[in-house]
Amino acid sequence: MSLSSGLLECLEAIWRLERERSPADLDALAKRLGSDRASTTERVLALQGRGLVQTDLSGRIRLTADGRRTALGLIRTHRLLERFLADLLKLPWERVHEEACRLTPVVSEEVAEGLAGLLGGPATCPHGNPIPAADGGLPEETGTPLHRLKPGQGGIILRIEREEPEMLKHLATLGLLPGTKVEVSEVAPFGGPILIHVGSSRYALGRKVASRVFVREV
Amino acid sequence: MLGCHGQIARWKDGLAATFALAGNPNVGKSSVFNWLTGMGVVTANYPGKTVEVNLATTRFKDLEIGIMDLPGTYAMGSASEDQWVARRALLDGAPGAVLVVVDATRLERNLYLPLELLDLGFPVVIALNLVDEAWREGLRIDHIRLSRLLGVPVVPTVAVRGQGLDRLVEVALKEAQSSGLRLSAPRYGRDVEESIARVGERLVKEGIGLPWDLPARAVAVLLLEGDEEALDWARSLPEGGPILGAVEEAAGAIEAGHHEPAPMRIARERHGLAGEIAAKVKSQIRAPSRGQDRFWRLTTAPATGFPILAAVMVGLFATLFYVGDLLSTLLSGAWEAFVSPMIRAAVHAALGEGVASRSLLWGVDAGVLAALSVGIPYVLVFYLMLSVLEDTGYLNSVAFLTDPFMHRLGLHGRAVIPLVAGAGCNVPAIMGTRVLATMRERILASTLVCLVPCSARSAVIAGAVSKYVGWQAAVGIYLITAALGFGAGAAMNRLLPGRATGLVMEMFPFRAPCLRIMLARTWHRFRDFVWVATPVVLLGSFVLGVIYETGLIWAFATPLSPIVEGWLGLPAVAGLTLIFAVLRKELALQLLLTLAIAQYGTGTADLARFMDHGQIFTYALVNTLYIPCIATVAVLAKELGWRRALLISAFTILLALGAGGIAHRIVSLG
Repeated sequence: MSLSSGLLECLEAIWRLERERSPADLDALAKRLGSDRASTTERVLALQGRGLVQTDLSGRIRLTADGRRTALGLIRTHRLLERFLADLLKLPWERVHEEACRLTPVVSEEVAEGLAGLLGGPATCPHGNPIPAADGGLPEETGTPLHRLKPGQGGIILRIEREEPEMLKHLATLGLLPGTKVEVSEVAPFGGPILIHVGSSRYALGRKVASRVFVREV
Repeated sequence: MLGCHGQIARWKDGLAATFALAGNPNVGKSSVFNWLTGMGVVTANYPGKTVEVNLATTRFKDLEIGIMDLPGTYAMGSASEDQWVARRALLDGAPGAVLVVVDATRLERNLYLPLELLDLGFPVVIALNLVDEAWREGLRIDHIRLSRLLGVPVVPTVAVRGQGLDRLVEVALKEAQSSGLRLSAPRYGRDVEESIARVGERLVKEGIGLPWDLPARAVAVLLLEGDEEALDWARSLPEGGPILGAVEEAAGAIEAGHHEPAPMRIARERHGLAGEIAAKVKSQIRAPSRGQDRFWRLTTAPATGFPILAAVMVGLFATLFYVGDLLSTLLSGAWEAFVSPMIRAAVHAALGEGVASRSLLWGVDAGVLAALSVGIPYVLVFYLMLSVLEDTGYLNSVAFLTDPFMHRLGLHGRAVIPLVAGAGCNVPAIMGTRVLATMRERILASTLVCLVPCSARSAVIAGAVSKYVGWQAAVGIYLITAALGFGAGAAMNRLLPGRATGLVMEMFPFRAPCLRIMLARTWHRFRDFVWVATPVVLLGSFVLGVIYETGLIWAFATPLSPIVEGWLGLPAVAGLTLIFAVLRKELALQLLLTLAIAQYGTGTADLARFMDHGQIFTYALVNTLYIPCIATVAVLAKELGWRRALLISAFTILLALGAGGIAHRIVSLG
């Protein structure tokens, strides 16, 4: 399916908005796209014409199954491109994100798969965000709380819930951000902490902190 | 006392160059500091803050160089106290270069801090430390490439052996002298950079003086990171409105582009860049040898970890008792055989025989003897063992295993470190409760620290109970104290408002400790102890001697007798020594021994002639439980406020009297 880059951008924005505060509405979408209400409406209607989104009278926008698949494909392509630009072309860090933005709409699915093969099927973009699978699955992202994992199991952090801002900041400093891959290597008994590996570092997380970190098992 | 700012300014005066030493916790920063500076270290405090900055000077090729040791931190934010102090000292000190010690085996995470320092516009020199360990793990790091990618000098070092440190200072000097030509700051994603630049331009356009003369980009990054101090600065300005508006707009643009808040995105960019640089410079040439790691895992795996923990604790206290006892016998024997007769002769020659000379001998002879046989040997042994536990990294495993139990007390595993340190001395331990985030945790932990028998009280337990009654009774005192502490903690956790926060702690694998640094640290601590303790012991002994020799002691003892004799079943003078022991805990036994020596003459069975087994037990128990000492109360007041300090003190007195009275009754039944 060929879509203009404007429509692709719009579709991706709807997908992200849905994940943040489902359902997306027109005002939020317009703000995110940095355009006015009228042209945003125009784009949404075009997407609806292709069966990618549904709208209702109160201005709420939902992705259809097709729409979701297309959006995830875009994100996959974008993140694969970032990897490619950073790892193989050795482009400077500061240009990776932007160049990938520019290239994403013109890269076909076959090229994206070729890239994935060339890069050895990377799990995350250089910033640490997860790359959706080829079948469209960034699967239903309810996630598992970290403390439910068994020693030896790993996961990618999806989100950190109900945590104090100070703690979130501290976790971010240590590199525990959404998208980071962690591996559980020990679970202390009696409701004790869990021991995780992140890159070459090891951290002990109390059970309560761990229960607020949701991961996608890998 | 001068404020920290004044102290740092005065210290800088007349120095050819000053460097700051920064780095993550446990990367060998203090090894670098120790090698470079030796013994002459002064500490500087910010008012109301308890994290210290160490200042020292060193000579390098005829140049006097100042080194400022910042607290070990993962970042330079303003949220936690250690980070706040590190950043403020750095900004106030404006060093010629910041030497950042990074762990070569954990390069990605360790590069976050230097990137942040470059963002702040400081000239950075990297000490790529632990390259020997990286080598053992099969890791090679291309430090020349690292230097090129970061745009700063990189010097490989093995700080525990002092390797590369001369070169580090040399490179840092060169960097400080050429600091006019600063290489570029790190470059993040272009859209993020554009947002930073927009805020920076706004700051320049407003034409205002920036805080601490930071470059505009640095202030812009801080504002976008949501740094509270920077935001406060902007809010206080008359031009604050448009600046904050620009910040909000730029942060919004980042959020729209990346779908996460600007501070998170900047942290992600920094980690991403650090990870990319690390990936480019390191290569794994062979599989790491896992021997050390496997051993470390044994200490955290529950099935093996708890038995090891129990064994270590038993070993620790056995060593404390036996080696301490050996030292004690040697020292006191040497004193009695060689020094004591000379002092006696000298005092008698000067003052003749009488109340004055006998009182003086209480201080300079019996007092020193008591210090040599009780305080000094046990404290020395304990500090050495604490250094071993700290430097091998075993305390981390202890924190990991004990977290669930600490949780019952409203604390988390990190609190175990001050609690264990409390077994050395309560004063630094209470200061060490700063590692805990909330006031609630600090009150809980500080109260518990007060109930941890410090080395001085252990000395009394070892020197009295284990020596005269037997080791089982000594262990009994520890168990009773532990049970009471646990009960008090659990009760306070229920009573105090608020909730416990969670544990997030970096875990370090084992490291072979460096004997030189361990000995240096033990010596520093021990010297502080001796400096503070000895005058108090001598003075206390002398005052008690005067009271005793003039017969005043019985007048003091009488009002106490209902409690001491009636309730606790102890001789009245023992109560008096308990009161004097508020000066320093081991003083209790020393004074008691001095009394015994004065009353019954020298010999090993003095205390046994003076009190029976049950009395010794009760005496040591009460001594262990009530107020640690004057110094501890002073620190409690400084850290938590006078009201809380007095409440905690009153609580411990009541607890001690209660437990002592009950113990006396149980013991006299049997």
